[in-house]
Amino acid sequence: MTDNLAIVTRGLVKAYGRIRALRGVDLEVERGELFGFLGPNGAGKTTTIRCLLDLIRPNAGEIRVLGLDPQRNPVDVRRRTGYLPGELSMEDGLKVEGQLRYYNDLRGNKADWSYVRELARRLELDLNVPIKNLSKGNKQKVGVVQALMHRPELLLLDEPTAGLDPLMQQEVYRLLREAQAGGATIFFSTHIISEVETLADRVAIIREGVIVEEAEPGRLVSMAIRRLWIRFLEPVDPSALGEVEGVTLLSQNDGQRVLLQVEREVDGLIKALAAFPVSDIEIERPSLEEIFLAYYAAGPVEEVN
Amino acid sequence: MLAELKHTMRSRRGQLIGWAIGIALYGLLMASLFDSIVGIEGFAEMMAAYPEDLAAFFGGLTAITTPRGYLDIYYFNYMPVIIGIFAVGVGAGLLVSDEEKGTLDLILSHPVSRTALFWGRVLGFLATTVLILFVGWLSWVIPVQGTEMDLTWIEILRPFLPLFAILVFFGMLALLLSLVLPSVRAAGMLTGGLLVGNYLLVGLANLNEDLKAFTEYTPLYYYQGGKAVDGLDWAWLGGLAAVSVVFMLLAWWRFQRRDIRVAGEGSWRAPALSRIFRRGRSLQAG
Repeated sequence: MTDNLAIVTRGLVKAYGRIRALRGVDLEVERGELFGFLGPNGAGKTTTIRCLLDLIRPNAGEIRVLGLDPQRNPVDVRRRTGYLPGELSMEDGLKVEGQLRYYNDLRGNKADWSYVRELARRLELDLNVPIKNLSKGNKQKVGVVQALMHRPELLLLDEPTAGLDPLMQQEVYRLLREAQAGGATIFFSTHIISEVETLADRVAIIREGVIVEEAEPGRLVSMAIRRLWIRFLEPVDPSALGEVEGVTLLSQNDGQRVLLQVEREVDGLIKALAAFPVSDIEIERPSLEEIFLAYYAAGPVEEVN
Repeated sequence: MLAELKHTMRSRRGQLIGWAIGIALYGLLMASLFDSIVGIEGFAEMMAAYPEDLAAFFGGLTAITTPRGYLDIYYFNYMPVIIGIFAVGVGAGLLVSDEEKGTLDLILSHPVSRTALFWGRVLGFLATTVLILFVGWLSWVIPVQGTEMDLTWIEILRPFLPLFAILVFFGMLALLLSLVLPSVRAAGMLTGGLLVGNYLLVGLANLNEDLKAFTEYTPLYYYQGGKAVDGLDWAWLGGLAAVSVVFMLLAWWRFQRRDIRVAGEGSWRAPALSRIFRRGRSLQAG
């Protein structure tokens, strides 16, 4: 496992009784990357993150976080990591500042309190309010502050913008980009596709405890099924186009306008089209959402291990 | 560990203050009433006239007019059950109540080992219990100077040690059970039931010799209560402390290997029991 990787998992398996939450998760996240972990509820996102912090123990597989085994060196891993849980719960009896000071105590008072105040100001978070009086969104802000306040090398964020209004979501994105610019690696889970599209350098899609795709968001789009409308200068016989690998002829109007479906790269089709008098090409690009849904519309995932 | 000790004390301060005030008021009241109660004309005869079985349940009432007997019957005899409620409640919730609330997940994502967290919390429990008992001790030591109770501060201190040992025993048992059973509530109910059951069994064993065979293996059988004023049973104290340490170590071992749950996540269920209950319901319905 190389030094330039912040997170590595190999064949990660985690079962809760008969339910197999993770069925062989393989992940590699490079240092300095903003990595999105996409999947619907129950796909295994939270379980994966909690294994990285040794909050739960996998049944099989290997994990390295910042080059360390979390089961052997949990304290060292957590010292260099900031974590925002998906289900954020805090002590109702404390005020925001008291809660943050308690977390800071646990970190050996490493946080710069002026930075904490700056984070609170940017997120419009009042430090003197009791936790029990906070809305879900404001509790989430406390979670974001505690994850960032000690300027960790690695941020593990489980749905970081859950409950935040769009303005605050943008502010959190800015904070994460700033953390990345400062050298931090950010691994965040989400089921919001637009979040991945706007924020992530790379994305992995998890489905039923298995990673089904891992790529740059743009690359995922380019690799997906798309539809092409092609207009010809004169009627042609388009059957040759349907024989190109990955291309399906969906419809043709008088041989002058055809609809094709292309899987993955369009290179083969473009070469085949060179033999035709093409007037116009119109590509219907799928959104990341459509790609995501396509992965979930597919049949059962084959088990890795 | 220090951060967790501070946090445990801080988060329990409401309970600590409430219990300390209650225990202090009761101690002050009973200590200041000693002269009045013992001085009631015919009080000793009245105690002697109590039904034998009732007197036997409390280990005899004739000594009530002596400072030792008074201290035993009016205070230390049932304090294991009274303060035991606190010890069992705190012990059962020491770690798992945070897990059930979902706060343990975030706490353990900080650079604190499970060992440090565990022992920080256990130390917090011990410190809180000592503080409550210290207030209880003060509530006797201060007013006793103005009464005819001829007891020194160290004589009053002695019975607090067996009481402390009993509280730690049941507190740590509750902690261990909370890490084995599905919920804090189940652990608290079971440990509380064992404590009260043991108390009743020891009382009933004074009436029925056959029960002694069972009770002599239970922690409260050897509990000295107010009789410890004259000297401590170190063998019993050592044995109880050793068993409490075993409970602590087992609980620590279990916590090391535990998957930390998040709020709302269920725990194990007893499938055999579920089947029995289902069968019982279907038979009733049939």
